[in-house]
Amino acid sequence: MSLLEGLRLALSQIWSHKLKSFFSLVGVIIGITFLIAVITIVEGMNRYVREDFAGSIFGINTFTVVRRPTVQMGRMTDEERRRYARNPQLTMHDVGVVRGAVPAGTIVTWDSDRGFDQVRYGERERKNIRVIGGSEGYSSVQGWTVQEGRGLSPLDERRGLKVAVIGPDIADKLFPAGSPLGKEIRVGPFRFQVVGVFQRRGGLLGGIWDAAILVPFSAYDETLSRNPGKLEEISVKAPSPKAMDAAMADVEGAMRADRRLRPARDDNFYLQTSSGLLSAWDKINGILLTALPGLVSIALVVGGIVIMNIMLVSVSQRTREIGLRKALGARQSDVLLQFLAESSVLSLLGAGLGVGVGVGLAQVVQALTPLPASTPWWSLALAIGLGVAVGLTSGVYPARRAARLDPIVALRTE
Amino acid sequence: MEASKDLIIITRDLTKDYQMGSETVHALRGVDVDIGRNEYIAVMGPSGSGKSTFMNLIGCLDTPTSGEYVLNGQAVQDLDDDELARIRNREIGFVFQTFNLLPRATSLHNVELPLIYAGVSASERRERAEEALRMVDLADRMEHRPNELSGGQRQRVAIARALVNRPSILLADEPTGNLDSATSAEIMAVFTHLHDTGQTIIMVTHEYDIAARAERVIMLRDGQIESHDADISAVPHAAAP
Repeated sequence: MSLLEGLRLALSQIWSHKLKSFFSLVGVIIGITFLIAVITIVEGMNRYVREDFAGSIFGINTFTVVRRPTVQMGRMTDEERRRYARNPQLTMHDVGVVRGAVPAGTIVTWDSDRGFDQVRYGERERKNIRVIGGSEGYSSVQGWTVQEGRGLSPLDERRGLKVAVIGPDIADKLFPAGSPLGKEIRVGPFRFQVVGVFQRRGGLLGGIWDAAILVPFSAYDETLSRNPGKLEEISVKAPSPKAMDAAMADVEGAMRADRRLRPARDDNFYLQTSSGLLSAWDKINGILLTALPGLVSIALVVGGIVIMNIMLVSVSQRTREIGLRKALGARQSDVLLQFLAESSVLSLLGAGLGVGVGVGLAQVVQALTPLPASTPWWSLALAIGLGVAVGLTSGVYPARRAARLDPIVALRTE
Repeated sequence: MEASKDLIIITRDLTKDYQMGSETVHALRGVDVDIGRNEYIAVMGPSGSGKSTFMNLIGCLDTPTSGEYVLNGQAVQDLDDDELARIRNREIGFVFQTFNLLPRATSLHNVELPLIYAGVSASERRERAEEALRMVDLADRMEHRPNELSGGQRQRVAIARALVNRPSILLADEPTGNLDSATSAEIMAVFTHLHDTGQTIIMVTHEYDIAARAERVIMLRDGQIESHDADISAVPHAAAP
C-alpha cells in the first residue's frame, strides 16, 4: 500500500468520526495554540523592541549621560543601587563638558522631568501625564514630530517662556472640541500656553509619550523643577553609529577628567544606549523561549497520550476490519502504515487547528491590548513538525498492536 | 494420482498442534490432500474435526506445525508473515459466512480492497472492481453501502471482492450460513457458474444440500481425512449436524 493510499484511508476514517476525532485532539490543539500564541506575542514584542521601542526611548545613534540607569531590564543589585546613588547629580556644567568633548555636527540636548503629574484646562483635567523640561532640539533628537502648531524654539528657551507642546492624548482630553493652540493649561500653580501638539506615536509605550507635555528647560527649571539646576539626562545624537561610539568614548574621557577620577575608579555617571537595552531584552526573550518548550511539551505529551488511547480503542473496535485486511493481503507494514498515517494526520489536523486558534488568539490580544503580534514562519513549520512527531510517536504502539494481530483471531472477533 | 502439474493444492502429512494451557491439541494429524485445477470441493466434518484449522492452513492464514503444503506450484509451509500476505492476496479469494464487508465503504470500495494491497493503480482498481461487480450482477449497486444491500447482495459483493484479483482458488467458509434458503440457492448458483467458467472452489460447509452442489466432498474427522470423496447422497438432510 502506498503512503498516499494510507493518507487517503486515514482522512476518510477521521472524517467519518468527526466528533470523536476532534475531542481526541484537544490536547494537541491546546499545546500548539499555546506555542503559536506565545511565539507570536514574543516575536511581536521582539520586533517592537528592536524597531520601535529602542528608537523611541533613545532616538537613533543616540546615547544619554545619566546619573544612574533609567531603563534597565534585569535586576539591579543593592550594591549597584548604592553605588549609583552616590553619583553626583548632573548639572549645566556637565552639559558644557559634554559639548566640549564632541565634534561639530553632534547634537547635545538635556532634559528633566518630574515623573507623573496632572494637567488642567478650566474644569477639565488629565492625570498621569509627564511634564518634561527639554532643551532646544530635545524633541527632534527624541524623534517627535509636531502635528499642529509649532515645536519649541531657541527663543522660548532663552527667554524662559512658559509655553508647551502637548501630546495628542492631552489635546483630546482637555480640548475635545476646538484647537488647543493659544490656550493656557495649568500644571500645579503654573500656567503654560499651548503652542503645538505632537503627532500620535501609539504602540506599546506610545501612551506615555502621547500623554506628555514638553516645556522649555529654562521655564521648567524655574517653575516646576523639584531640583532646580539639576538635569535628568544629557542626550548626544551623533550622525552615524560609528560617530556615536567615538563620541561615547570622548564624553566618558571628558567627564572623568572633569570629575578628576583616578584611573582605578569607576565612572560616577552612566552612559546609556539602546544596545544595552537590546541585550537585556535578548536575555528576557531567551528566558521566555526557554520556558516555552517545557509548557508546550506537557500539553503535547498529554495530547499524545490521548491520541494513543483513542487509537488503541480504534484498533480494538476495528479488530475484525484489520483481520479482514490481512486476509485480503495486507502485510504488517500496510496495517502499520494505515494506523500511523491515521494518528499522524489526526495530530497534524490538531496542529493545524492549534495554529489557527493560536494566531487568532494573538490577533485578539493585539486588538485588545497594546501588545504587538507577529507570527514568524518558522513557528508554523515547528507546529507542523511537532504535530506529525506527536502523531507518529503516539501511533507507534497502537499501530504495532494492529499490525501484529493474528488474522484468524481477528476475524473471529465479534 | 494424475499429473501433478494440474494439481493446485497438494498437502503431505499436514499437522497442526495448538497449545491450550498445558495441553496440546492435535487439530490436524497428518492430512494428505490433492486438489486439481478447476475442482469444486466441499469440506465437511463435525465440529472439532479440524476443518477450520484445515481451511486456515489452505487459506495461508496460518502455518502448519509440520508437513508440506504446495499451493499453485509454490511450497508455502515455511513462508513468513509478509510472504503469506502476498500469497493470500494473489492466490486466494476469501468468502466468509458473515460477509466481512467494511460497513462504511461502498460496494466498489469493498471490492477494490485486495487490489490496494496488490499495488494496482486507482484507475485500474476501479475498472476491475466494476467488472467484478458486473460479474455478480451488481452493476446497479456499486455505490451502495452494505447496510443498503440484502444479505444475498452483500455476499455477492464479497464474492466479487474474492475474485477481483483473479485468485487461483476461491475459499468459502460457510458462505450460506447467514442466508435463507432462497438466497442460499442464489449464491450457490453463482458458485456453480464460477466453477463452469474455470474457477477452483473450496467450500467449508456443514449443510449436506450445499455440499451436494460440489463435485467432491472431503470429509474430516478427528483431524484426519475420513474420505476424499464422500458419498453424501444417502445422508438425509435432517441429519446435518
